[in-house]
Amino acid sequence: MLILEFLVKRIAQGFLIIGITSFIIFTLLRVVPGDPVRLIVGGMAPPDVVEKVATKMGLRDPIVVQYARYMGGLLRGDLGQSYLRPRSGMIATGGQYIDPTKSDMAPVIDQILERLPFTLQLGGMALLFALLISFPIGIAGGLHQDGWQNQLAFAVQSLFVSLPNFWLAIVLILFLSVKLKLLPALGYQGFSYVLLPALVLSVEIAPFIIRTLTTSFGEVMQTTFIDEARVRGLSRRRIVYAHALRNAAVPLVNLLGIQLSTLIGGVLVIEYIFDYPGLGNLTVVSVVGRDFPVIQGIAITTSAVFVFINIIVDLVAYLIDPRVEL
Amino acid sequence: MTVTTIATIVPEAAQTAQSVNRRIIGAAWRMKSFRIGLFIFIALLLASAIYPELSSMSATKMVVKDKFLPPLLIGDNWSWGHPLGTDQLGRDMLLRCLIGLRYSLMIGIITVVLIFIIGCGLGLFAGFKGKWWDTVIMRITDAQLSVPMIILAITILGVSRPTVETIIIVLALSGWPLYARVARSAAVTERGLEYVRGLRVLGAGDWRILLLFAAPNILPPIAFVAVLDVARMMIFEAILGFLGLGIQPPTPSFGSIIADARKYLINAWWIATSPGVFLAVALTSINLMGAALEKARNRIYGGL
Repeated sequence: MLILEFLVKRIAQGFLIIGITSFIIFTLLRVVPGDPVRLIVGGMAPPDVVEKVATKMGLRDPIVVQYARYMGGLLRGDLGQSYLRPRSGMIATGGQYIDPTKSDMAPVIDQILERLPFTLQLGGMALLFALLISFPIGIAGGLHQDGWQNQLAFAVQSLFVSLPNFWLAIVLILFLSVKLKLLPALGYQGFSYVLLPALVLSVEIAPFIIRTLTTSFGEVMQTTFIDEARVRGLSRRRIVYAHALRNAAVPLVNLLGIQLSTLIGGVLVIEYIFDYPGLGNLTVVSVVGRDFPVIQGIAITTSAVFVFINIIVDLVAYLIDPRVEL
Repeated sequence: MTVTTIATIVPEAAQTAQSVNRRIIGAAWRMKSFRIGLFIFIALLLASAIYPELSSMSATKMVVKDKFLPPLLIGDNWSWGHPLGTDQLGRDMLLRCLIGLRYSLMIGIITVVLIFIIGCGLGLFAGFKGKWWDTVIMRITDAQLSVPMIILAITILGVSRPTVETIIIVLALSGWPLYARVARSAAVTERGLEYVRGLRVLGAGDWRILLLFAAPNILPPIAFVAVLDVARMMIFEAILGFLGLGIQPPTPSFGSIIADARKYLINAWWIATSPGVFLAVALTSINLMGAALEKARNRIYGGL
């Protein structure tokens, strides 16, 4: 019952947040300089043509009117249509004129749904790698606060957090892919193309997980219930994995919710470098082409994913440790 | 009477706050990692401030006959004049890296200061005022937090012209929400404390309590951790440069140098490597200091 109440409240809040987000992005895009119509009709078009197309597309109406129209569409599951990409999949350029007011432009929702699985796959793999790297290092560092394990954990996290992801990506492509030919790097032609970008991303997330694990494990091991478990004669393995881990997991789960935005931001850059066909790549292309509907759609999607995962995170934290307030 | 009482409390509150901060800095200083970080950081800072001024070369002028010179002691046509070699247009890499570092540090530090002021200001205000101020500010924070900062930054910089000022503003705009959250939760706790109620009874206004008494208690612990964010902002600046949305060429910045150098990776690896190493060393030094300060803070506050 408590959980149901929590879900209803959080989902309602979530919609509010998505609404505010979309309004911020919507306004920003229209306030900053750069006219999408100029790009659509091409640089050579006379100003009166630009104005005509803009009026026809509704881009000269007040922002509030445009926003209301957009939100009306959103409620019906319609995110609008791309300014630049026709349904056929080619990118329209100034030369071949395609009327952006007609319905032969690709719907934004299709483009996003087509790319989203790729991005989720990359993000999921990166998270998996990060956990695989961090768990041994973090737990060892937490258990031996004064030993070399803690120093190692500190060194690894300082090093990892200081490596710019795009630079690491280039270096790894050069060594693992070009020189040693171990992993494929650019584009996407199968599952193996996820591994290298996921590895780079995991290096970006791992330091936060290691830090949280070392601190929370260090704290949990000081508590009386661990002492008591020792007195009860439980094996060290059992104390660590059955008792300490569960208690140390709550801060970790919370951290994952907060770090999600780092992860999404990282995905974007990594996808661009590896030419991986996900949402991030689409974002960069759309921004350069001032494809407003696509940018808005992506912002709303990421904000929805963020809200959704944070609800799950809070729920999981509650299920692990019922003392956590919902 | 109230005036004198408050006047006697002010120096006292300031003094205790200062002594805690001094203890934290002292504890950090005793850590080897902090001193190493500080030493490297100061060395880099001095190098980036002094070397470009003394050097007679230009970081932007092309010298085509000197292109692709390798760094010291590598290959056969290296020279003492270009310790890190030259790039595809014959420009000195050391000079370009140091100027890139200058911009990177400047943007990183100014952005964090701005973020700190905006985030903590809004957070303190929301936490202290409560009621609908709190609700409105925190919902905006949530919304801002749910758009990854890099998407926001790319969106704004992609459609407007990137200059140093816009880069700083964009990074600051997208970085404040976490600070607002932390400051708000601290302010909510602080609001319920005895001394705040005492001040209220004495007739002090919200602003007076907030700025003179609560802020000196709440802000320093956040400020120590903010050092780590300087490194994060420097990475973001480099990413923007890499995507072509940072400081525009010919002015060197880490991101744009690395992006351009990708083409010459096989034959002239030093062009992409040296800015990367510079950036990584600078970030490591800042992270070492930040982590040491954070550890010291947790130890002192935990032991209080």
